[in-house]
Amino acid sequence: MKGILNHLFIPQRSNNHRAKILHNQSLLVLVTVLFLGSFLINIVHLRAPQVLGDSIDISTRELLLLTNKDRLENGVSPLRISQKLQTAAIAKAKDMFAKDYWAHNSPNGTTPWDFIKAAGYDYTYAGENLARGFTSSKDVVNAWMASPEHRANMLSKNYQDVGFAVESGTMQGEQTILVVEMFGSRQLGGFASQTNNQLPQPVTSQTEIFSDPFFNVSLLTEGMILLILGVFIVTLFLDLIIIRRGKIMRFVGHNIDHMLFFGVLILAVIIISHAVIL
Amino acid sequence: MIKKYLSQSDAIYYFSVFFILLAGILAIAHFSGNVRLQALIVVLVSFIYVAWGILHHLLHHDICFKIVVEYILIGAFGMAIILFLLKSI
Repeated sequence: MKGILNHLFIPQRSNNHRAKILHNQSLLVLVTVLFLGSFLINIVHLRAPQVLGDSIDISTRELLLLTNKDRLENGVSPLRISQKLQTAAIAKAKDMFAKDYWAHNSPNGTTPWDFIKAAGYDYTYAGENLARGFTSSKDVVNAWMASPEHRANMLSKNYQDVGFAVESGTMQGEQTILVVEMFGSRQLGGFASQTNNQLPQPVTSQTEIFSDPFFNVSLLTEGMILLILGVFIVTLFLDLIIIRRGKIMRFVGHNIDHMLFFGVLILAVIIISHAVIL
Repeated sequence: MIKKYLSQSDAIYYFSVFFILLAGILAIAHFSGNVRLQALIVVLVSFIYVAWGILHHLLHHDICFKIVVEYILIGAFGMAIILFLLKSI
């Protein structure tokens, strides 16, 4: 076993003084496996989401409870669910998927306020928070609370009503969960005069996306990719040190730039996998 | 320590690679939320990385078929990683 590991990861006579996993044949096998694996995952993901999918649990009820919990903790009165804001949020989410954009304003200039007005909510104050790629209500609310602009919306005394949309679809080539939160108030001064510390119960209309597959494909893939890249960086580093110390001549690419490239890939994987708010 | 492992021309090459990759990662971070564009940037950076690596070995007169294939495979590996990630998120 030790011999095999040394052959795979340590430059020595048996692997022609280049770790076996760094040989072109090994790289070719890995690239082929990754290309084929990505198509295989896609097929299983689509045909058997209960086996291989994302663990998702986002609901308007929990989003409302968590939002109001944060408001109460910060001395702000809780929000009520407005059916009209709910309708506006759902229309906005569907529009974002239909026109394939990730922005507050649509490509043809439609603003969030247009959706609110179209739903029949005559607002004095209005606001919008967006989130995509999150897998739990708690993570969505925590991310909004961690961003100054979104936090200002969450804790604004100007709002008395809120509406949520939790929609699943394809945006910019990525299958994702989109959360739209729309705030509003119909009268100047908002809801600030009320100091009711009881959390209001959400109305019956709820949107919820819940999925609990056997394997969480996103976490599994991300972890696997980071592990592979980490193993390559360590192997390249060991290869560099051992060969330089042994003063062995070889015709191969530079290990340092490969390590830099793999390091950038690690950062890219982390950034791309990360959920975002707007 | 650094001088022991790097010649001057290698150091210039590594710094240039570092800045190309840094520009790539900053662009990926800048376009946060636009996965399609981020993937395109990874592909572009991979192509530049391969071309720059091959050019460097060409200028150093130590180019050979094996090295060209190695850079192409490393670049393909980067693209395969991103494709694999995109198919599963």
